[in-house]
Amino acid sequence: MASLSTGVTAAGLPAGVSAGLGRLAATAGRRVAALGVLAALWESLPRLRVVDPTFLTPLSEVLVAWWDLLLSGELLEHTQASLIRSLAGFALAIVVAIPLGLLIGWYKPVAELLDPVLELFRNTAALALLPVFVLILGLGETSKISIILYACAWPILLNTVAGVKSVDPLLIKSARSMGLRPVRLFQKVILPAAVPTIFTGIRLAGAYSILVLVAAEMVGAKAGLGYLITYAQFNFRVPDMYAGILTISVLGLLFNQLLVRLERRFSTWRTT
Amino acid sequence: MKIQIQGVGKEFRVRGAGRPFTALDDVTLDVRAGELLTLVGPSGCGKSTLLDLLAGLTEPTSGRILLDGAPVDGPGLDRGIVFQQYALFPWRTALSNVEFGLAAKAVPRKERAERARSYLDLVGLRGFEERYPHELSGGMRQRVAIARSLAFDPDVLLMDEPFAALDAQTRESLQEELLRIWEKTGKTIVFITHGIDEAVYLGRRVAVMTSRPGRIKRVVDVEFDSRDGDLRADARFGEYRHQVWTLLRDEVAAARTEEVVHVG
Ligand SMILES: Nc1ncnc2c1ncn2[C@@H]1O[C@H](COP(=O)(O)OP(=O)(O)O)[C@@H](O)[C@H]1O
Ligand SMILES: [Mg+2]
Repeated sequence: MASLSTGVTAAGLPAGVSAGLGRLAATAGRRVAALGVLAALWESLPRLRVVDPTFLTPLSEVLVAWWDLLLSGELLEHTQASLIRSLAGFALAIVVAIPLGLLIGWYKPVAELLDPVLELFRNTAALALLPVFVLILGLGETSKISIILYACAWPILLNTVAGVKSVDPLLIKSARSMGLRPVRLFQKVILPAAVPTIFTGIRLAGAYSILVLVAAEMVGAKAGLGYLITYAQFNFRVPDMYAGILTISVLGLLFNQLLVRLERRFSTWRTT
Repeated sequence: MKIQIQGVGKEFRVRGAGRPFTALDDVTLDVRAGELLTLVGPSGCGKSTLLDLLAGLTEPTSGRILLDGAPVDGPGLDRGIVFQQYALFPWRTALSNVEFGLAAKAVPRKERAERARSYLDLVGLRGFEERYPHELSGGMRQRVAIARSLAFDPDVLLMDEPFAALDAQTRESLQEELLRIWEKTGKTIVFITHGIDEAVYLGRRVAVMTSRPGRIKRVVDVEFDSRDGDLRADARFGEYRHQVWTLLRDEVAAARTEEVVHVG
């Protein structure tokens, strides 16, 4: 435990860097410090019996369990199963929701037709519909991917619609004055103007794809991190349960980081 | 290209209101080929509405507009517009913004960059080709917008209060630049402004509009013995300025009462 916290501090304050890098390192250091405190609490509270270690395994033991799961190949198998589901649902959501959103945003009649239905569904939590998906699509992959698809589609759809609708009318006017017809106008003005907003939706969907995944895998799955977590809990393999939770958190974090980076790349111009 | 505006009226249907809203009523005005005409009028008198009609973005309710004798039929690259708020595409660099109109005109891809570069040069923006609009000052953005409109080589330049959002110093330098470009290219320019100084300084003729519904109240010829030196210090400048001011004064007052009546 002591070695862990000193290790973090040492990594947080690297010596002999230039001023600019120094400031960057300071921010990074503060972040690492916060994580360090969390790790320290996770380690010490059960060890000091402030909480019951049977229910909250000390971090070091969780890491050992995690390592064992990794070596046995179990972790990889579960992670793979989860990733395939998440990515499939996420990718399908992009494929379905972006064109639909563009259509709704651009053609008023479509919007008027679909608006009431959309309002109703967007206000229904995706997980509330999980039993319905299982009922109709069974316990297999289809229902799992579908519920992820469903949950991911909403932020993408709503952001795409908003993105198209909020294009500055002056830009449209300007392009029209240069003789652009509707199709070119859409391609050259509406779409690029909406990209950053659409990407915000995609980033949100990325988070949802991981959030919903766990719940979806808690019923009727044979593999996946959500399955690992519930299975470990039932069998009282508490360290394994935490190892699963930790893995999924890190996965979500990495996925989000990736999408944030992508989003930034596509929205550099939006810094006015 | 000469422009003939003949008895043009424009009404807007307003939601909730019974009768339509008349923005322009019987506007008649000729703009000569190669002329720089400025159009002044109180705010809300329908200047932008008239510009939209000239651009072919909207259609008149009555009357007609002829370009070299042919009625306006929708927007076209024979007319370029410069808006007060620049209307640059923020996701495109300065160069790529200028190329936009060239693409619309189907100029071959290879030629576009070269031509765009030369027009950015013309407005004094050499070296800023790769900047995004948010990386440019207001004056520079408006220069890009002007370059964009000039690049596809329209016969007419329609400018809607293009310098109104700029600080005085930038405005003056852009005014001078516009005159230089006008003399160099010989384009027909319709320049809308609510600034009397600007109207007199730039316009070879100044058309003064009435308050809403807009009509042409008077067209003032602006002539100087010489345009060299500080024109604004010329005694004639002051006279023209006063003449336009007097014409506008009653209209501005009328527009204000109108506003009060509307609000009350
Ligand atoms: N699309 C529109 N629908 C309804 N009213 C409009 C529309 N466009 C302009 N107007 C009205 O027409 C009048 C003239 O507007 P505008 O041409 O923008 O004036 P200016 O440019 O001279 O300030 C204003 O009262 C404005 O509210
Ligand atoms: Mg206006």
